[in-house]
Amino acid sequence: MSRVLVVEDEQHLADGLRFNLEAEGYDVQVADTGEAALHLLADPHAGFDVVVLDVMLPGKDGFSVMAEMRGAGQYIPTLILTARGHPDDVLKGFASGADDYLTKPFDLSILLARIGGLLRRRDWLRASASVTPPSPPPQDNFVFGDKSVDFVGLELKVRDQVFPLTLMEANVLRHLIEHEGKPVSRKKMLEEVWGLHEDTDTRAIDNFIVRLRRYLEKDPAHPDHLLTVRGVGYRFVANPPAAA
Amino acid sequence: MVVAGRRKTIAFFIALGAGLILVTLLLYIGWVQLNWRHGVLLLLGLLLLAVLISGVVLNTIFLVREIRRNAQHDAFINAVTHELKTPVASIRLYLETLQTRAVDETKRQDFYRIMLNDSDRLLATIEQVLRTGRVGHARRIVNTPLDLDAVVEECLARARKLHHVESGSIAFLPGAPVTIMGDPEEIRAAVSNLVDNAIKYSGSDVSVTVETATVEGKFAAVRVTDHGPGIPKTELKQIFKRFYRVPGPLAARVKGTGLGLYIVRSVAKRHGGKAWAESEGPGRGSTFVLQFPLSRPAVAGER
Repeated sequence: MSRVLVVEDEQHLADGLRFNLEAEGYDVQVADTGEAALHLLADPHAGFDVVVLDVMLPGKDGFSVMAEMRGAGQYIPTLILTARGHPDDVLKGFASGADDYLTKPFDLSILLARIGGLLRRRDWLRASASVTPPSPPPQDNFVFGDKSVDFVGLELKVRDQVFPLTLMEANVLRHLIEHEGKPVSRKKMLEEVWGLHEDTDTRAIDNFIVRLRRYLEKDPAHPDHLLTVRGVGYRFVANPPAAA
Repeated sequence: MVVAGRRKTIAFFIALGAGLILVTLLLYIGWVQLNWRHGVLLLLGLLLLAVLISGVVLNTIFLVREIRRNAQHDAFINAVTHELKTPVASIRLYLETLQTRAVDETKRQDFYRIMLNDSDRLLATIEQVLRTGRVGHARRIVNTPLDLDAVVEECLARARKLHHVESGSIAFLPGAPVTIMGDPEEIRAAVSNLVDNAIKYSGSDVSVTVETATVEGKFAAVRVTDHGPGIPKTELKQIFKRFYRVPGPLAARVKGTGLGLYIVRSVAKRHGGKAWAESEGPGRGSTFVLQFPLSRPAVAGER
């Protein structure tokens, strides 16, 4: 159930909004001052999904509440709902960090549609974020099978053998490990490891792979970990199937 | 932000004025050094100096007043926008709710009550704005004999209903019955504005006393005393100006258009009376007095 925070000091409007939002299946909380709203939002467990914010509030006005929220790193989708419809006010609302702006008197169905839109946008963002999770923070160490890489000390340990790595060798290996299981093109590696965008000869990478295979693989001619993906580039596999 | 910008502009113009006066003075000192032997030239310079300085002072005062008036007008537009649109928004919201949702009977009655309440509020604001236009003109007023106590009773009954306050929290102490000549609608509006203010600014703990009395056998006075936030001495006169609201957090907490007391004072003036405020200062409550001339000598009234 989505949670909505309504910041509104006019009792009648607050009650009417609560009734309708609850009828739509939202969990509603009302704050009658900007200060109360900021206090509620400061609680990390409050878990509000959307905020409906009035501007003419006693004490802190809606614009400053909005700016303070964004300043405090609270990026909850927020709709400003106010009687002030002058273009300057609308611009001020967006400048302070609002996602949407609706003037009173408003059409109930349009308000509900806009709140629904804000929630939908947030769900989409969340969904796309979970499909491609941001690359994990760079690790200092990676262990796979009986091998381990130390990206800081630039060392590769295979059983009891230690191979020193050059910085670039370590970076190529780290890049492949970070995209474990997925093919990485030579061009992409050039761009992301070397930071090169021009059409350099991508075959230069093959030399790095040949060297890394010499350290890693039992049989460099038939690699288990650093696999060639024909026509694309390379793929790292941490735990190859035993049969292979 | 806007307030800070306005203060900066005012400070700039005052500084500019002071700077110009300083430059004029330096020029005059130069003039004196050049012409110290010629008495006529010195006198001429002195006259010119006086004219220039008074011009700069007048100009600065005018500019600062104009800036203040603009700011008050902006605040008024914002307040009226809010006071007109909020009840409309509320009525509309409830109407749409009733139209689109299944609402049970008790809720339905609640909604009707809220909508009626909002339409009263809307009407009150509209009347306030219209009345401001009317009392601003020196139009001939309706002149009928009025029983002041009856008018006050009426206003109090209306206020109790509108603000949902217990009857015990507003006390009425009528003096000797008096008759005044005036426009019943205007007098009612003036008294109502005072009573509404007393209730509005009292917050949750309303304790208001309304008295009527005869003053020096010539005037009938209505005194409205509250135990609210009080008024700073410097603001006692200002608050009767059109659009004026005492700056600060109180004006944000208590909604208003800045017209109420202007109407009170205008109505008093149109009836040959006056209106003023008394307060011991912030936090010590305030008393508003509305005074009208008696229609007949007090002796006749007291008989």
